Amino acid sequence: MSKSIVVDEVCRVEGHGGINVSLQNGKVSQVEFDIFEGSRFFEPLLRGRPYDEVASITSRICAICSFGHTLASLQATEDVFGVKVSAQTEKLRDLMIQGEMIESHALHLFCLVLPDLLGYPSAIHMAADHKEAVVMGLGLKKLGNTIREVLGGRAIHPCNAVVGGFGKLPAADALSALKQSLQRALDDAMKAVDLLSTLPVPNFTESPTVYAALDSPGGIYGYFGKEILTSTGGRLDIHDYRKLTNERTVSHSHAKHSLFSGSPFMTGSLARLTLNEKKLKGKAREAQQKLGLRLPTNNIFANNLAQAIELVFSIERAREIIEDLIKEGMREERLPQIKLKAGKGVGAVEVPRGTLYHSYTYDDQGRIIDADIITPTAQNLANIEKDFRAAVEHLPNEPQQSMAFKLEMVARAYDPCISCSVHLIEMDR
Amino acid sequence: MSKPKVGIYGLTSCAGDQLAILNLEDELLDLAGAVDIIDFPMAMSGNDPKTRLDVAFVEGSVVNSHDREFLQKIRERASLLVAIGTCAVWGGVPAMSNEIPREELKQKVYGEGGKAFDSIPAQPLSSFVKVDCSIPGCPMEKGHFLRAVASLLHGDIPLLPTYAVCTECKMKENVCLLKEKDQLCLGPVTVAGCEALCPSHSVPCQGCRGPLEEANIASEVHLFREKGYSAEDIQKRLRTFAAPAAAIKSFFGKE
Repeated sequence: MSKSIVVDEVCRVEGHGGINVSLQNGKVSQVEFDIFEGSRFFEPLLRGRPYDEVASITSRICAICSFGHTLASLQATEDVFGVKVSAQTEKLRDLMIQGEMIESHALHLFCLVLPDLLGYPSAIHMAADHKEAVVMGLGLKKLGNTIREVLGGRAIHPCNAVVGGFGKLPAADALSALKQSLQRALDDAMKAVDLLSTLPVPNFTESPTVYAALDSPGGIYGYFGKEILTSTGGRLDIHDYRKLTNERTVSHSHAKHSLFSGSPFMTGSLARLTLNEKKLKGKAREAQQKLGLRLPTNNIFANNLAQAIELVFSIERAREIIEDLIKEGMREERLPQIKLKAGKGVGAVEVPRGTLYHSYTYDDQGRIIDADIITPTAQNLANIEKDFRAAVEHLPNEPQQSMAFKLEMVARAYDPCISCSVHLIEMDR
Repeated sequence: MSKPKVGIYGLTSCAGDQLAILNLEDELLDLAGAVDIIDFPMAMSGNDPKTRLDVAFVEGSVVNSHDREFLQKIRERASLLVAIGTCAVWGGVPAMSNEIPREELKQKVYGEGGKAFDSIPAQPLSSFVKVDCSIPGCPMEKGHFLRAVASLLHGDIPLLPTYAVCTECKMKENVCLLKEKDQLCLGPVTVAGCEALCPSHSVPCQGCRGPLEEANIASEVHLFREKGYSAEDIQKRLRTFAAPAAAIKSFFGKE
């Protein structure tokens, strides 16, 4: 006897994808996360573009991660031309990514995950009974956006971050105001942690999982790094990222799949925490204890808890960075002189959904010859399919409709960004 | 009177315009009180894909037959269709190299496995359906969306700026990046509404809001040429957000 579980379109995710699971005599015979978001062919579009236009084009891959794309893009370009940015620029960029984490995690937890756990079709419906939680979530999300606006010029597709630094420094009074808001937000984020800690964590999809994340330097938890760690004990220079992500085309998806040593892997909040757990401190550590998150885990639903911990972390960290900037006093800096040369470079940034890689080859006029962009969701697709299979096998007697809903929950636990994943890389030549 | 029924959709896109709506953190719950959002797949489950809509907001460009059919279905059930964001209004970034054959792009990106993929050159909504109102921007300004909803609730078609980014920039008394810094700034030919955001950060306008009606592109091209920019660089900059390629080519003669 054969049957299938079909979700035509997964809702409350960014982009367009469907789910197909087929069973033969109670055994899963086929699992497909069908990505039908259209192809935009970003990488071929970049060919011939001058270096100073690349980041603003690639940010358009995805709105939610537009700051991450911008930063990975700038890093890759700076890697090619040997541009060293100032310590002040590094701090401001760090603040940009903290803002993106706060916005994205608050959006996912409050608008997408909590409605699932509390049984509402959306945050708007949930507000009828849980207005305080929704308003709090929106407030945190707004704070993330305010950080993005102050640093990037606008909340989506930043214009202010350029090769070598910034077009304009953020105003000192805007930073002071942010510091105040972050102080209040920390209390709200801890309340969110308390709320989450009262809700059961679904566990119908446990199966062995390999994790990959950047190794944040200096013993400080963070979203930048020059090396990739895997939970199998691997360590790779970011320039060798293709050894991890080696993508392959699959017929049911406009996004390619990644396998590491033949097995799927997970990248994202849970992977970062698993591999950088010892670096957590302060309220973020406290949040982990409250949520009772023991690592490593094979339960992908723990990713929602990891996001809540990172939400707390990013609020604390953003405040620290701002305090530091205020203490040191910001200085107007001249953008470094760019010496164009032919070559290849890589940028890697931890964005809300995992590690994002941009790699560019430039000619000696500073024009793109080749681009390769590997997004976290593309890396996660094979692992998502693995978890669909595990979920269906763990719940053999689940009615079809409710199983379909559970599979959507699995997909949403990854916070997938489908627009991002339909990026397209060139074949190996 | 029952509340107007609203649907919010994304075709192929970065989701930035739908996100701009979700970024109305202070107004979102009031908005959901003023209109009945019955279909918004990015933000809600349990959507109603059939009931007649008073207004449909659609972001993204049409890049395959799935997008085209979905757009046509939305058009059939909506009294008013509003294009949100530059992709929906002009084709946007994905349309910047529409002259490259799809077969070549698919081969480059997916190899042999990609041959069967459904892909057409990226087009704005107006290539396929009647569009009643356009809110450009990459992303659109969330305030413009809110004002558009308010206008539509009153039975008016929303008014948006029809002058150039350059005008906004002058009002802000920014240093002119085009004349004084010789940069490829598209402020003179791009429609306003962003408060000259990029030039206010010392970054030249990239034209992300799309072209101004009656823009003097020939004069802008002439200025750039005087400053030593190549025809190729000027065309690339002008086409980043895909003002129609053929129209722009005509400003370059036989170079």
